[in-house]
Amino acid sequence: MTNDHPDTSSRRTPGPPNPTPAPAPSLDPSSRRTPGSPDRNPTAQPDPSSRRAPGSPDPNPAWPLWATDQRAGELAQQQPQPDAQEFSTLALAAPCPRCLKPVRPDERYCENCGWDVHPEVGALPGPSDSSEATVKLNRPQQSRPACVECGGQVDSDGYCQTCGTKAPSPRDRFEASPADWVGGVCDRGVVHARNEDAMALWAAPGDERNAVLVVCDGVTSSQDSDVASLAAAERARDVLAASQPAGLAVTASHDAALDAALVDAAAQANAAVLATTAADSVNAASCTFAAAVVHGDRVHWASLGDSRIYVLGAESVQLSTDDSVAEELIRAGSSRHDAETGPQAHAITRWLGRDADDIVPRTGTHQVTGDSWLVVCSDGLWNYASEPSALAAQVATAAEPGGSPTQIAARLVKWANAQGGKDNVTVALARLTATLNEAAGADEAPATAVQPAPPIVEEKI
Amino acid sequence: MALFTSAVYQNEFLPDGGTDVNAIVTIACSGAGAAGQTGSGDAGEIIIVDTSGSMGTANMQAAKQAAMVALDHILDGTYFAVVAGNHKAYLAYPMVQSGAGMVRMDARTRAEARRAISFFRSDGGTAMGNWLNLARALFDSIGNLAQKHAILLTDGENHNETPQQLDAAIRNSIGQFQVDCRGVGVDWKVPEIRSIAQALLGTVDIIPNPSQLGQAFAELMQKSMGRGVARADLRVWIPQGAQVLFVRQVSPTVEDLSTRGVPVNPLTMAYPTGSWGDEERDYHLQVRLPAKSVGQEQLAARVQLAVGTEVLTQGLVKAKWSSDTNLTAQINPEVAHYTGQTELAVAIQEGLAAKASGDERTATTKLGRAAQLAVRTGNAEATAKLRKVVDIDNAETGTVRLKRGVDKADEMALDTASTKTTRIRG
Repeated sequence: MTNDHPDTSSRRTPGPPNPTPAPAPSLDPSSRRTPGSPDRNPTAQPDPSSRRAPGSPDPNPAWPLWATDQRAGELAQQQPQPDAQEFSTLALAAPCPRCLKPVRPDERYCENCGWDVHPEVGALPGPSDSSEATVKLNRPQQSRPACVECGGQVDSDGYCQTCGTKAPSPRDRFEASPADWVGGVCDRGVVHARNEDAMALWAAPGDERNAVLVVCDGVTSSQDSDVASLAAAERARDVLAASQPAGLAVTASHDAALDAALVDAAAQANAAVLATTAADSVNAASCTFAAAVVHGDRVHWASLGDSRIYVLGAESVQLSTDDSVAEELIRAGSSRHDAETGPQAHAITRWLGRDADDIVPRTGTHQVTGDSWLVVCSDGLWNYASEPSALAAQVATAAEPGGSPTQIAARLVKWANAQGGKDNVTVALARLTATLNEAAGADEAPATAVQPAPPIVEEKI
Repeated sequence: MALFTSAVYQNEFLPDGGTDVNAIVTIACSGAGAAGQTGSGDAGEIIIVDTSGSMGTANMQAAKQAAMVALDHILDGTYFAVVAGNHKAYLAYPMVQSGAGMVRMDARTRAEARRAISFFRSDGGTAMGNWLNLARALFDSIGNLAQKHAILLTDGENHNETPQQLDAAIRNSIGQFQVDCRGVGVDWKVPEIRSIAQALLGTVDIIPNPSQLGQAFAELMQKSMGRGVARADLRVWIPQGAQVLFVRQVSPTVEDLSTRGVPVNPLTMAYPTGSWGDEERDYHLQVRLPAKSVGQEQLAARVQLAVGTEVLTQGLVKAKWSSDTNLTAQINPEVAHYTGQTELAVAIQEGLAAKASGDERTATTKLGRAAQLAVRTGNAEATAKLRKVVDIDNAETGTVRLKRGVDKADEMALDTASTKTTRIRG
């Protein structure tokens, strides 16, 4: 792109664009040249502004010198600089991009056509400012869960890198999957600032169909109920997991042992709640209690408050009965809908905590009669589907795409949040199958068969 | 290594259906070190002095002195050059005709440069685009300068180039180097010089009296030499589906950055902020989000300061939808303050432009609004400068009368200072 160009220093340019006659800003017009330098007297050249086309970097750009008087020249000669050898080298010039005539490097406009050919360097320097090795603050971290909203990567700042959704804290949302047939999700919901629900699950290792599902719902109006509810649920789960009856004892003794274990679990859970609460607390932490133990094809349950235990599927029943104002209204003759949507709908009459009078739970046992789901949940779920048949329909919809109980529970939580998520939502699930069991009666029909016999539902207050 | 920190001031609560989030993000830099001395690359300084005929003897003499003072404040080892500008641009120092157009500062080159400056004589016209083009080429002649800064002194209008030529020179220089501009006397045009300074991330000010030039150049060069962080970007991440309505620097001056973003990735834009010394800058960000339901929280923006690809600090701008009007109706004091200061800058500039074009009615209205905002937001400097141009009858209502026989320098000082803001804190 460069042409050899003779130093025709006597050449004069008509200088089209600049009307101002401009004498050289020089002290001594008589000696205006440095060795090898062209004449650049602006008096004679009204505006010979030499330019090169943008976009063509010149490794040896030519500089229009201002000070070219003798003294400056002497100075330069007396003190040779690193650049001195370039003094005599007239830079090779690029042709005018319009008419392709050679343009002297010190000229700003093409002599032939007047085109603006300023010597600028067009190529942008790369971002070479940072020479040090860099570390990305936002490097995706492998261990972080995917965004619950869009599946994107959650940043170390706790928000999704794609949609900005706040990743729930471990207390705001957690899952448990102790076995491939048992799982659950405990979620803050939409409206509440804290997740005061708690969940604790256990399943026997191996093929044994033994599991424990505990849900506690902290009472919002009490202090630190999120801490208390989690302590209660975990303590009850541990107590129940440790008291699984072993061996092939008769069903009646199993039932009695588990019944006692459930009452003990409630008492221990209460102790755990008390341990989180200061003795002088004026607003002691409190929570509900709903626990279910799966033992083979029998479900043993206990509850205090309004967290619920359902079996949904082959048959759909609500095993637990709420300790709530709503429930009392229903007993007094109100419709379920009116009672559960009334002003006192969520006022519970029994709970765990320092100010609880009665911590002996209602307990019962249920014989599984066919493929179904054990659901232990907080009111954050059943608010949107209270009747067993309604909730069964939602569970069936959630289970339709398949997946683990935890995934199905997550779909139910998502559905509840889509309905408004007005409360914390907890859903714990166990996949139930009626098995041929000596204790349950070997002569009974297979689990998949239609079971005309009513379920065994015992209740005790 | 410089330390950057950030703080976010906002009301994160949005009403049901609310979409627009406002935040002020303060970014502070400490331990910046000196320009070109932090091991991240060399710094280059170019002193551009107007040598046009209008400079006359007095201004030219003062400009020479000022340029020599500026040389004294360029740290040894820094690449530098001196450009003399009239309707053309001349490389006054170093006296090379090709190759590298800048040399490292040391005792010898400083003395030579002083000598070269001493030969300056006012003559010719003014074409600042040429000056910028030469400066850019000079910077580029030194391979990989990390930091490039120029001081430009002028005294007149850009007579000898078309506005398009100047615009092209400015455009080609954006992102290449920074320029602080100073105008001596009252014959230059504030908007013209401001367009150079704003695009090239520098400042503009009037020096009414040539005797103040030396002091001004010393301060400019000291400040530039104190910027050890060569180049930093303000990065703004927004969630998918969101939109940045604007990004402005609001302190120390108002500069709209909205159109200067360069995409880093589909959700992140980088806005160049030039070099940093030990200082604080405030940014006003407005983001529009798709509304979420009451009770939901999400991130509206991550505002980061990045040097190269390294993010050095991050502020989080949040959105929480709430049905509590006590929370959602509040306007964050910082946001309110800077919204007022931005409007103040616009009101002053529009008012002065109207006054210059003879539209006294608009000028009175705009400068009245400016007086109202300046007093209300506690901007004492703007208030004092406004008082030299208008008589403020009632600051509360913004009632003013245009003064007769206003000193041109006072009007220009009001104009150049219009973008300077006060801070609500400290």
